[in-house]
Amino acid sequence: MPSWFDIIIRSFVFLALLFFMTKILGKKQISELSFFEYVSGITIGSIAGEAITGLEKNIFQGMTAIIIFSLATLFADILALKSKSFRDFIEGRGTVFIKDGKVLEENLKKEKYSIDELSALLRQKDIYRVADVEFAVLEPRGTLSALLKKENRPLTPKDLQMKVPIEKEPQTVIMDGNILDEALRSAGKSRGWLETELEKLQLTLDNVFIGQVDSYGELTVDIYDDKIQVPSPTQRPLLLASLKKAQADLEIFSLETEDEASKAMYMKNAKLLQETIDKLTPYLTS
Amino acid sequence: MTIAASVKQCLANMKGIEAQLSSLALNSNDKGAQEVFHTTMETIASVKKDLQTRVLELERLEPQYKG
Repeated sequence: MPSWFDIIIRSFVFLALLFFMTKILGKKQISELSFFEYVSGITIGSIAGEAITGLEKNIFQGMTAIIIFSLATLFADILALKSKSFRDFIEGRGTVFIKDGKVLEENLKKEKYSIDELSALLRQKDIYRVADVEFAVLEPRGTLSALLKKENRPLTPKDLQMKVPIEKEPQTVIMDGNILDEALRSAGKSRGWLETELEKLQLTLDNVFIGQVDSYGELTVDIYDDKIQVPSPTQRPLLLASLKKAQADLEIFSLETEDEASKAMYMKNAKLLQETIDKLTPYLTS
Repeated sequence: MTIAASVKQCLANMKGIEAQLSSLALNSNDKGAQEVFHTTMETIASVKKDLQTRVLELERLEPQYKG
């Protein structure tokens, strides 16, 4: 057997083996969250490389080593789920670098990080002033997580005490001109509904590259022909506008009429409409 | 435009709003949104009823604007 043929066979065998081992270990191995996974990831790769090109060696030796390393990682993962102390030992714990806005020099020294490296890590998170940070911790995998002081955090609707409606994730119902029935079902819509919506937009199904339904049941599409402008949904903002118009009309009627009973009726309903507008505004904007 | 005509127009507007709220209540996925659309639709329906009585009254008072 020529050596190049041997390499081809070994490459495919190890490719398949590595693929299945990573499948067994799951996403956790790929993200290399813990120290153990980091080490086993590197080692498995090296063993595979060595075994593929080291033709003088037996292929099964390399395979055994890879399987052992994978199973050990799997075993460590399962044990780590069961026991907290084992988890701390295997996966390591984060080291607090900044607490209460103060840099803990002792911990920096313990992890052998200089202040330059700490500020470089902070800059990767778009933080340029150490004084802005309330709390920062070095994760076991060497990334830095930082919590800004409250006044430096981005403003959220909660800070403004705004009421925001709950918005469900949009469902992708059309992909490459094909209807995805499962997504359509979880959006609570039927094929008939989708066809009507497409007709409203004057589109055919095979023109649509991607179509999504949001939590208000509005369909947004991207079509293959980028020169055609597809109207964006305007139903809700228009509804808000006509509500406002009706409210203003009622106020005008109440001013114009001379009949006391109707004046009161118009006033009452104008107020009711104003309350309705206030209630609906979060749902009709955005 | 006479008062009767503009009240009628407003009534038509309310009918449209009610229908749109009803369709939004049916099409929304979120329970909370559905409820808000539904209750506001009922409010609009009551306003619409008041306007309808007023239109009838106006027609009775000023028969020339009937239609």
